[in-house]
Amino acid sequence: MKNFYRKVAFGLGPDEKVPSDPLEWAKNQLNDIPEFSWKGKILPEKELRNYYRDYVYGDRKVLRKKFKNDKEGYKREKNKLRHATGQKFWWNLELCIRYSEALKSETPVLAKLWYFWGNHFAISEKDFLAQYTTGAYQREIIRANMDQNFEKMAQEATIGWSMIHHLDNDQNVGPKSQEAQWAREKGKTKGVNENHARELLELHTVSPDCGYTQEDIIQMAYVMSGWRPKWGKKSLETGDVHFNSDAHEPGTKIVLGKKYKRGRKSLSVAITDLVNHPSCRKFIAMKLCRYLITDNPTKEMMEPIIKAWEKSDGFLPEVHKAAIEVAFNYSDKYNKFQNPENWLLQMSKMADVDLIPSPSFMDLYKLGNKPIRDQRALEYLMDELGQHPYLAKQPNGWSDISEDWMSPELLIRRLVYAREAYYKKSGKSQTTEFYEEMIEKNYDNSGEILKIIDQHRELVHKHVILFNLPETLKS
Amino acid sequence: MKISRRNFLKGSATTLFLAGFNFPVLANTDKKKNLVVIMLRGGMDGLCAVPIIGDKNFEKKRKDLILDETIKLNSDFALHPKLKNFYNLWQNNLGAIVHATNIPYTKRSHFDGQNLMETGGHIPYSIKTGWLGRGMKLAELKGEGLALALPMPLLLRGIPSNDNFYPSKKRLPRTELLQLLKSVYADKSEHDLANMMEIIANRSMMNNGAASMSRKNSSLAYKAGLELKKINGPRIAVFEVDGFDTHAAQGGVNGSHSDSLIEMDSIFKSLEKGLGSEIENTLVLTLTEFGRTIKQNGGRGTEHGYGSAIFMAGGLLKKSQVYTDWPGLKRKELFEGRDLNSTIDARSVYASAMSTVFDIDFKRVQKEVFWGDKLQDLSDKLFKI
Repeated sequence: MKNFYRKVAFGLGPDEKVPSDPLEWAKNQLNDIPEFSWKGKILPEKELRNYYRDYVYGDRKVLRKKFKNDKEGYKREKNKLRHATGQKFWWNLELCIRYSEALKSETPVLAKLWYFWGNHFAISEKDFLAQYTTGAYQREIIRANMDQNFEKMAQEATIGWSMIHHLDNDQNVGPKSQEAQWAREKGKTKGVNENHARELLELHTVSPDCGYTQEDIIQMAYVMSGWRPKWGKKSLETGDVHFNSDAHEPGTKIVLGKKYKRGRKSLSVAITDLVNHPSCRKFIAMKLCRYLITDNPTKEMMEPIIKAWEKSDGFLPEVHKAAIEVAFNYSDKYNKFQNPENWLLQMSKMADVDLIPSPSFMDLYKLGNKPIRDQRALEYLMDELGQHPYLAKQPNGWSDISEDWMSPELLIRRLVYAREAYYKKSGKSQTTEFYEEMIEKNYDNSGEILKIIDQHRELVHKHVILFNLPETLKS
Repeated sequence: MKISRRNFLKGSATTLFLAGFNFPVLANTDKKKNLVVIMLRGGMDGLCAVPIIGDKNFEKKRKDLILDETIKLNSDFALHPKLKNFYNLWQNNLGAIVHATNIPYTKRSHFDGQNLMETGGHIPYSIKTGWLGRGMKLAELKGEGLALALPMPLLLRGIPSNDNFYPSKKRLPRTELLQLLKSVYADKSEHDLANMMEIIANRSMMNNGAASMSRKNSSLAYKAGLELKKINGPRIAVFEVDGFDTHAAQGGVNGSHSDSLIEMDSIFKSLEKGLGSEIENTLVLTLTEFGRTIKQNGGRGTEHGYGSAIFMAGGLLKKSQVYTDWPGLKRKELFEGRDLNSTIDARSVYASAMSTVFDIDFKRVQKEVFWGDKLQDLSDKLFKI
């Protein structure tokens, strides 16, 4: 049963009491969205997007022209521009904010689910989104909506600047729209871009299980046409998202048998229909079970989550509680192989690893400078472990399938970074007693585990073994 | 050691068999042959990489994306001008192309498509192993696969104990510790973990200078070439190249599609360098989920399409050629009126390649790896047999 603390959160830290009612302990973390536990600077998405704007504009409109024939000069000035806009710093700050929720907050269960949703509505590697805005998107659109209905999260994520830009909806122009007409008059062509529409159906809501066709995707793309950042000479593609009716496809569209009239409102209506489609709740229930419990969720596991969704109209706190309860009920039968990020956070929490730089240290950063190495530690580490949360390779995010995380190199990373982490611990946690207590608190078979790690004398080796035992790798 | 008794037996059995029938003994029966697959993720635009020459439909639909200074391959097809290393191979009869080909997947989703390009199946996510892994299993090539990537690609699943190489900059823990973990994994019936720990323990003893290695595909390919060259080294290697999904700003010669093609091209070059003369016993193939629409979109990019092309390299090729059953680019010749059609099931190429490199009868590959699907044996058309 003790693996439940690791399954739905990151285990119990040295200062945490063992909850008398584990299930209640977990469920109580899901009602509200507390303030961030990070006590340093937190920038609004809009401000970070402005830094991105300055970078894009400075590079594309100024430097490329100015240094057309001077490759070295271009390189030098572009580096300056990177630092002037904080390109190497902001995402490290975001990682501090992100991991504080797992390690320092009262709501680690909420944090583990936050990571789930951030990955569900993933902004994958594209341009420099990760360096500037992805973390803020996950704060302001994903986490902020975890006490709302799924629909609200889906609505906001869909027309969030990050998602619109990430999935090319700024390129999506109705072929019969005014704008396409103007383009034709100039001998150019503008037309539909299906990317965002497809992912909205496939990844974010109903999934291919619902049986949509290519025509449904095109029709959905027509519904979405015109939603794009407000273009400006200085802001380029970084303006706020708005509905531009000149680019919107006229006429009625039909997606999954439902009709949508031309206009601004149709996207929101279509999303409402998608999130209320039975395939959507089934898909989300399956993904939650897969994330928390097992690669191959059973119908019985998904059922209570689907029911909670139906009863509460997709109210996320209720959906989350149902998922956590299922995880609790199956905690003895199933162990889920943890992805690198969740593994690292478990180790950091239970063994008291000083993973996150302090707020005062991070706030020393001055724009225009190159951040110092220790301010960039998290960025390097996550890349090394093979799972930087803002750099998923594809819009379907990082995999929830165990096998995708098993390979010699990935296991090597866990060995070498378990060792590295040991040296980031405070002296008081580098004692045998500390380990005995921690193992007792977090593992059902503490006697057996102690016997295994006692085969090595040095504490650092005990530490490396513990965090690579099957009991830790799988929770 | 991987010097295998099995290989020895296989080699001698074949020799005896052939001797019995008084065939000329084939010199290369006991030669180690290598298969390399480069996965091109995002949908490689076969028409950008290997454009057709003088087709008005093509030129009309792609006004802004037509390349200047392409390299002419034959009277019908040209090569993207940045694929210099591939062209070198081509000139030495070490490079060939299959055009208008794709896996039998027509729905244009990256995730479903990439899943199917790796499994070789028909229903996304229904098959949990890769066609290459199943082929290796059929050929009993356990422990002979190498992925040059951090996660293990689905393509190689189906046979245990594959290795991957994507070097970490830190030192491994001591061997005793690794051995202890290995025995704990074995005790707890965690066989996958135990297998991996075995590989790791071996690697830690070999000190292969990984710390100084870069993770660029070009360096990984050089390293892979050196490993494939070893008689007891891996026989299969898998690479990943991302970034082919160019919905916007696909550009011409210097556009974003070119960047990814150049990365692919650098793998050809470094593999050749690492392999040395063993390039003669190697076959390199590319794999992608789909091609791209013929028509450029509003953002000077292209949408997800259907038919694409396969690049092939190495001495096991029959000759330099663009092998195709060209479907044409007139509207009615296009797939669903928009995409280059696929007239060759890409899996026919992969099945023929496995049959050639692994020395297994094509029909067995077809039956055991691809469920008896209707595939053509292209071995004698494409490869040296």
